[in-house]
Amino acid sequence: MGKLNVDPALIERLAELLQRTGLTEIELAEGDAKVRVARAPQAAVAPIAAKPELPPAAGSASLAGAAQPAPAGASDRHPGAVRAPMVGTVYLTPEPGAPPFVDVGAEIREGQTLLIIEAMKVMNPIRAPRGGRVANVMVSNGDPVEYGELLLIIE
Amino acid sequence: MFDKILIANRGEVALRILRACREMGIETVAVHSTADAEAMHVRLADASVCIGPPPAAESYLNKVAILAAAEISGADAIHPGYGFLSENADFAQMVVEHGFAFIGPKPEHIRLMGDKVAAKAAMRRLGIPVVPGSEGPVSHEVMARDAADAIGYPVLIKAVAGGGGRGMVVAKDEAELLEGLRLARREAAAGFGDDRVYLEKYLARPRHIEFQILADHGGRCIHLGERECSVQRRHQKVIEEAPSTVLDAKTRAEFGARVAAALGRIGYRGLGTAEFLYQDGEFHFIEVNTRLQVEHPVTEFVTGIDLVRAQIRVAADEPLGLAQADVRFEGHAIECRITAEDPVSLMPSPGTVATYHPPGGPGVRVDSALYAGAGVPPYYDSLIAKLIVHDHSRSACLERLRRALAEYVIVGLPTTIPLLQAIADDPVFVEGDYHINWLAEFLEVWQSRSR
Repeated sequence: MGKLNVDPALIERLAELLQRTGLTEIELAEGDAKVRVARAPQAAVAPIAAKPELPPAAGSASLAGAAQPAPAGASDRHPGAVRAPMVGTVYLTPEPGAPPFVDVGAEIREGQTLLIIEAMKVMNPIRAPRGGRVANVMVSNGDPVEYGELLLIIE
Repeated sequence: MFDKILIANRGEVALRILRACREMGIETVAVHSTADAEAMHVRLADASVCIGPPPAAESYLNKVAILAAAEISGADAIHPGYGFLSENADFAQMVVEHGFAFIGPKPEHIRLMGDKVAAKAAMRRLGIPVVPGSEGPVSHEVMARDAADAIGYPVLIKAVAGGGGRGMVVAKDEAELLEGLRLARREAAAGFGDDRVYLEKYLARPRHIEFQILADHGGRCIHLGERECSVQRRHQKVIEEAPSTVLDAKTRAEFGARVAAALGRIGYRGLGTAEFLYQDGEFHFIEVNTRLQVEHPVTEFVTGIDLVRAQIRVAADEPLGLAQADVRFEGHAIECRITAEDPVSLMPSPGTVATYHPPGGPGVRVDSALYAGAGVPPYYDSLIAKLIVHDHSRSACLERLRRALAEYVIVGLPTTIPLLQAIADDPVFVEGDYHINWLAEFLEVWQSRSR
C-alpha cells in the first residue's frame, strides 16, 4: 500500500467536476494511490443521466420490470411518489418570483397543482394524485425532467 | 457542424448513428422508452432522456416528448434513423420550426414522396420510368383493349378503390382481358362499392433493385449504385446485396445518373433511395424512401463511403466534397437481417439474450445493439442484428457469409439464423437467380421440411 498524499486542491477540483457534469462518482488512481469522490444519487437531480464509461456487462432490465425507470432509491419506491408524466422543464411557481405551489411539509388535497412541467412551450399543471403532506420535493425550479422521474413525495 | 445530436430511435440504428457522431466528435443524446432503459444505445450515449412508456406511440413516436428532450438536453440536431418518425413530414417540419436541424430531406420532399400517387406522377414527369398503365379507369371494352395493346400483355386489371390484392385479375391476352374485366368489375363492386378498374403492366417475377442517392444543399446529387433486395417476405427485405447480379457497369452508371439527375432537379437533399421493380431489362419506379435505409451497410462496403457521416455533413449544410467520378465500386457485399423470430414458424420471439458471441474476422461487420443479458422487448421491430460481409467476388462473399453465420452465437431466444443459413446454401440464391416472390416459395418448402 503506497502512502497516500491527500491533495485538497485536487479533491476540490474533482468535486467541482462532479457537480458540473452531473456525475455521481469519480475515481482517480495513480499507482496504488486512489481518490474517489462521490455524491448521493438523490443529489443528482439532473435527468440527463451521465453514462458510465463502459457499459456494465450484467444487469439487464427484465421485460416485466421494464415498466419502472432505472434508478431505484428507497424514496423511489415510496407509494406516495409523484412522477413526471412527460419530458420537460419543471416550474415550482405559478410565475417567476411568486411563491411555490407547495412547500415541503404543506398539507395538500387531491387535485391540487403541485408544479408545472413545460413541454414545447405548453405549461402542464401536475396535480396531486391524492391528499396528504408534502414529504419531500426532489426537483428544483427550472430543472429538466425525463418521463417517469421522481418529482415529489406525498405522505 | 453540430455539437450535439439527439438520436430519435432505438436498437441497432441508434447505435449506428451514435458511432458516426462519436467519430465526428459530436455529442449524442439517446432517447428511450422505459422498456429500453438498459439498452446499449442508452448506455453508450453521452446523455439520455426517458421519453415515455413502452408503446411506441407514447415514446418513439411521441413528437412532443422528443422535441422536449432535445430542448432540455441542448441538442442542436435530431437524427430520426429509419422507421418511427423518419418519414413523417409533420415531425420534420416541427423539428425545423423549433430551431433544430432535421437530419434528413426537406419536409416538402418527405411529404411529396410520402404520397405514393403524387410521387409516381412527379417521377414520371422527371423522366423516370414507372409501371406502364392506363391513364385512369377504363370504362368500356374498346378502351380497355386499346390500353392493353399500348401497355403490352400480360396486364393486371386493378380496382381503383382496391387494396390488399383483392379486385385484381391477370390477363395474358385479349380474350382473358374481356372476361377478366367483367370479373374484376364485379369483384370491385362487391368488395369496395366502386366498379371502376384500371390496367397496369403485370410483372410476374420482378426483382427489387434500388438506387442510393446522396445530395447536398448546393444541388449536387450523386448516386452510390444499386442494392438488390429481392429476397423479401411480406414486403420485408431479408437479404440485400450489392452489386445486383443482373446489372452491368454501363446500366448502373446510366440509370444511376438518371435517378440522381431527377432528384437533383427537385432540389432534394440528404440520403434517398429510389426503389424499382426490374424485369426484362426494364426499371419501373415504386417509391422513394427519404431516409437512411436498413441495408445501407452494403453500399458502404462496396463504395467505402460512410453514409451516416455523409448524411450528417450535408444536413449541416456542408458540401458533398465528392463527385460522381470519385465513387468507385469494389467487390461484393451481402447483408442478412437477423430477427428475433422462430426460424420455422416465423413467430416473434422476444426474450433475454443469455449468451452472445458475434462473428468477426476479415470482411465481417455486425450492426447490432445486442449483448449478453440484453432484453429484446416485445413492443418493437424484431430486427436484432445485421450481419454484413464483403469480399472481392460474390462467390467469395457467399463463403464468408456462411462462415460468419456459423460463428454467430445468440442463446436465449430463437433467431432466424438457421433460416438464413438455409438460404445461403440454396442453389437458386447462390446463382442469384431470384425475384421478389422467390422467398415465399422457398419458405413453403422450408417450413414443410422443418415440421
